[in-house]
Amino acid sequence: MKKTIMTFGLFGLTILLGGCATVQPWERDVTARQSMQLNKNANFTSAHEHIYFSKEASAGGRSFDGGGCGCN
Amino acid sequence: MQLSKKNKGRVGATLCLITANLFTVTGLHAQDITDSTNNPSAQDSAESLNVYDQPASTPGTTTIDSAVLFYKEDGGRIQAIEPMVSLTHNTENDSVFSAKLTFDSLTGATPNGAAPWKSSQIFTSPTRQANGDDENEGSTGASGGTIVIDPITGQRTLEYTADAFMLPLDSGFVDQRTALDLGFTTPLTSGTKLSLGLNGSHERDYNSFSGRASIAQDFNNKTTTLSLGVNYEHDVSKPFFGTPTPFSVMSGDQKGPSQNKNVLSLIAGVTQVMTRNWLLQFNYSYGSVTGYQTDPYKILSVVDPTTGAPQTYLYESRPEKRTRHAFYAGSKLALGSYVTDLSARYYHDSWGINSITANMSEHIPIGDLMYIEPGVRYYHQSAADFFTYYLPSNVALPLYASADSRLDSFNAITLSLSGGYMINDQIELYAMVDAYRQSKAGQKDTLPGNNQDLKLYAGTNALSMMTGVKVKF
Repeated sequence: MKKTIMTFGLFGLTILLGGCATVQPWERDVTARQSMQLNKNANFTSAHEHIYFSKEASAGGRSFDGGGCGCN
Repeated sequence: MQLSKKNKGRVGATLCLITANLFTVTGLHAQDITDSTNNPSAQDSAESLNVYDQPASTPGTTTIDSAVLFYKEDGGRIQAIEPMVSLTHNTENDSVFSAKLTFDSLTGATPNGAAPWKSSQIFTSPTRQANGDDENEGSTGASGGTIVIDPITGQRTLEYTADAFMLPLDSGFVDQRTALDLGFTTPLTSGTKLSLGLNGSHERDYNSFSGRASIAQDFNNKTTTLSLGVNYEHDVSKPFFGTPTPFSVMSGDQKGPSQNKNVLSLIAGVTQVMTRNWLLQFNYSYGSVTGYQTDPYKILSVVDPTTGAPQTYLYESRPEKRTRHAFYAGSKLALGSYVTDLSARYYHDSWGINSITANMSEHIPIGDLMYIEPGVRYYHQSAADFFTYYLPSNVALPLYASADSRLDSFNAITLSLSGGYMINDQIELYAMVDAYRQSKAGQKDTLPGNNQDLKLYAGTNALSMMTGVKVKF
């Protein structure tokens, strides 16, 4: 049930956000920049996720919640 | 999913903060939209000076990225050196092949789970067999190990001592880990991308294998991207002394066979281009973990219910099923060449742990070729339902119990500074430094008796540094 609500919620959010989008293709220059990438430096991201996974109980959200190590 | 009153307050405060920021950026953004509408194809001069304003995607290129991470905890605890190298090839038709090799080398001391006491305590080392080729054989003191030979059976056991009033630490922690990740992303049709990946890692006492697949679909003139992904992980735990029976007494005896753990992860997300300068991302991730999740090296003190004195030490016990839920929201806003990155996460699992995470950083251009990015991260988690610092000897054993500090309630603050410098069009040097500090959240528990001077909380503080070079050709 929770998963169904979540799936519909995400689709709803997609439609809602789509409705307020006003950005044209020729205006994608800023979001295409290196500095605007969601994973700007993959090694910084993986180092943070590895450290936090080994020292904290939480996982996931930003990416998959597996750990791939015996550190937790 | 239940939130305690205190957690509701924390979540509320975090959401207010994020909302306030988003209102702020929306307001600022109205001006940007007006500017870009008046002159849609032009970038103002302030936005195009720094090299990190160049497009990220470069079809037909290959990148080699190598870095080293240094990690060090206070008080002689864990130290790690982690070199990594990756190879990424972007084809002309937007497919991406990637491979990454990581090597971890860890040494140092780690809390064994036992409570401190007013006199010294002796423990059996679980991480090193006291056989003839052990490099620490016969050593004592700094290395923390003394070999004890049973006069009847001849069995050799390595023991170490925790000093009076000190948190018991097993100083014999040594491990190496090698991990390989392979990834492939390709466009299926216009606006649809498929990503596949494999990951494997090997430690002397742990192996992990996983496979993943995800699909991303663009909508609304490519301003909305919906993504769905699945990851399946199979882990094998093969401790040096075998896997102990839950709540069995600490010993150097050979124990049970290897144990397995499986993790099924699903993630669904939306990335939305809100305006020319503003990106939003929302994710939900679900994890189902089944199998062996006990830490085979962690123990618990069984203590006198009146004095708090340790009577024996038992191996911990954790449930074999855990379900995780995480909700993530992220925002990236560009103002000129500056980029503000905000994110928040709420996490809940079936072990009773709730957590919130808030992250903020600012990408600051320096001249034409460089950036720095100061950042701060706040984290709070509640304790697992079965977390305890000790077991009183006059109470029946619970079904599950662990004194692992990672399952305790605590706050953590990270202060970070990262940056990059483009030597030329092909070579980037980058570095980061993080200071991480954990502190106990909520009421501090004490042992029975008059033992307020014995600190039970085993959280850590750490410093990590990374330096790397990325070469594109």
